[in-house]
Amino acid sequence: MDFPAELELLKHTDNVNQLLARYGVKFSIYKNNQFKEQLFPFDAIPRIIEADEFAYLERGLKQRARALNEFLNDIYGSKAIVRDKVIPEDFIFMSKGYMAECDGVVPPKGIYNHISGIDLVKGKDGKWYILEDNLRVPSGASYPLIAREICRICCPETFRDIRIDDNRNYARLLKKTLDYVSCGGLSVVLTPGRFNSAYFEHSYLAEKTGAKLVSGTDLVVEDNQVYYKNYNGRKERVGAVYRRLSDEYLDPMNFCKDSLIGVPHLYDAFRAGNVAILNAVGNGVADDKGIYYFVPKMIHYYLEEEPILQNAPTYLPFYKEDMEYCQAHFDELVWKDVSEAGGYGVVFASKMTEEQKKDFKAHLDKDPRRFIAQDVIDFEDLDILGKDGSRVPRKADLRAFVLLADEAMVWHSGLTRFTTKPDSFIVNSSQGGGFKDTWVLSR
Amino acid sequence: MGIITVNQSDCLFWLGRYIERVYTTLRMYNREYDRLIDETQDSYGGYCQRMGITNIYKSREDFIKRYPFDASNPDSIRSTLDRAYDNAILLRGELGTQCLAYVEMTLYDLKRAEKAPAPLIPLRDLVDHILAFWGIVDDVIDSEQVRSILKTGKRIERIDMYARLRYDAGEVAHEIRRLSGRIPKTGLDYDQKTIDCLMELGKESPLNYGEILQKVDEIGANLIR
Repeated sequence: MDFPAELELLKHTDNVNQLLARYGVKFSIYKNNQFKEQLFPFDAIPRIIEADEFAYLERGLKQRARALNEFLNDIYGSKAIVRDKVIPEDFIFMSKGYMAECDGVVPPKGIYNHISGIDLVKGKDGKWYILEDNLRVPSGASYPLIAREICRICCPETFRDIRIDDNRNYARLLKKTLDYVSCGGLSVVLTPGRFNSAYFEHSYLAEKTGAKLVSGTDLVVEDNQVYYKNYNGRKERVGAVYRRLSDEYLDPMNFCKDSLIGVPHLYDAFRAGNVAILNAVGNGVADDKGIYYFVPKMIHYYLEEEPILQNAPTYLPFYKEDMEYCQAHFDELVWKDVSEAGGYGVVFASKMTEEQKKDFKAHLDKDPRRFIAQDVIDFEDLDILGKDGSRVPRKADLRAFVLLADEAMVWHSGLTRFTTKPDSFIVNSSQGGGFKDTWVLSR
Repeated sequence: MGIITVNQSDCLFWLGRYIERVYTTLRMYNREYDRLIDETQDSYGGYCQRMGITNIYKSREDFIKRYPFDASNPDSIRSTLDRAYDNAILLRGELGTQCLAYVEMTLYDLKRAEKAPAPLIPLRDLVDHILAFWGIVDDVIDSEQVRSILKTGKRIERIDMYARLRYDAGEVAHEIRRLSGRIPKTGLDYDQKTIDCLMELGKESPLNYGEILQKVDEIGANLIR
């Protein structure tokens, strides 16, 4: 879809990138033991989604987030879905993301996945497929948020001529979510620090929501209450912690004892119902790549609805019939290690050498629970601007954000990530990918 | 009064100091660069001595290139700016993205200047950014405490630099008066006796620069504990 005004925006690509540099829109990586901050490459050609198409996605995304929240409530509660044999218990209790410490602990307002980052792709058949659900610390909303702000400065006529849903309400949605679950007091964004890859996002979202950006040493827990320590020793109560660090580093007294970035006894305050932690602790069990297979079943089971959005066709070698299929079609599949993230642990069998295949199959036989296999979806290419200014097609996905407060809310935008390499399907920024704004057209 | 942590007050203070150090050293560098055009003997050694930095430079060309731009040289303008940035990046919530952008741009343009055929021209942009930074601090930061901690860092650094460089007595005294008016607004603990003593030193003629330097560093060291 080409709009004259969209093309107008493209003339301002250099200005957009200069402003992104001005505002420090960066992410950090460690390469060869060196810390490097680099600009997140932005492509000015937006992904455009029609209003009707997005309305369909919105219904499906809300449904999925609600079902996943029901699942988390169940799995750390009565475990009915296991008892009713909808999901084999192996997939729950052997998951790296399952945390026995969370059993019987109900988070404020019963919400676990306050912010879900759900990755989708659009196939060449025009259908959308869910690739994965990120329910722990999904990142990326800040990039299209600030990019839109900048694009509006660089080329206002584009946004005057094309009716696009304003995406600058993300901070309001996030604040509403924080306020809804807060147990009273300040809201804080807990960051592992400036050397984290998404530090820009942590600080930007804190600024935009009015929450305090804190590190572990800025908080203290006393009598199961969380406090923010003022410069003069005065303490302010904290009611909601939007944490941007993993479960295992959150609280050295309850989880990884070596963690220097967490807050001692934070989980005790959470367990006592005195603070909300967003997203809740223990969510990893629901965004496990193995559990992904069961999400359509969860939708049937908890909501008694037909799933609106489809998973990519997925096989679990754990099941005998799936293993047989996988063995027969090994070369046609993409294999994913359920314990990996960030685009790591993903291998296309067609690109393996014979020796690698032999090695992989040995691992598969030994521990089938560790892998899932998916049909390779021939997903849509989106154009990006090449170095010479010409358009070149690249694989791209969409991370949509769903927030749960008193209602499920889908952000009318999203992070569109693309691969910069022509033959690659891996869009992750940590592996050289870039990003685009996502325009949802108004009705 | 806003609520900030000890770490944040420390970052604000040091951001103020480092930004001021970049600003003053840029102005000094401009003068030195101009002087080096005419001089037959290299005078940069004297500059290093006055600034209290090690003279590691092999020639005037080496000084001209490495003093502003060498990130591996801890005394360079670039290193000072890196340290300013390291503090600023932790303060987005207190400063705001618009304000922080001026520190980003200062660093961005210093890197650009390194590659420029006439570096003094883009280096002028750095001075503009720093002046704009202080302007936006006054314009958008609502918390008087945040502004005052930043400016206390700035004043302390300026007095320190002016004392090292044996600046005009009137200017040094003026900066001391500004510091004594600013510190009470920080909300931090400080020793009034040391401030009073510094005020008295500022009235002396001739100025005892060594003692002023000692006192102002004492105030800075004890402000945030």
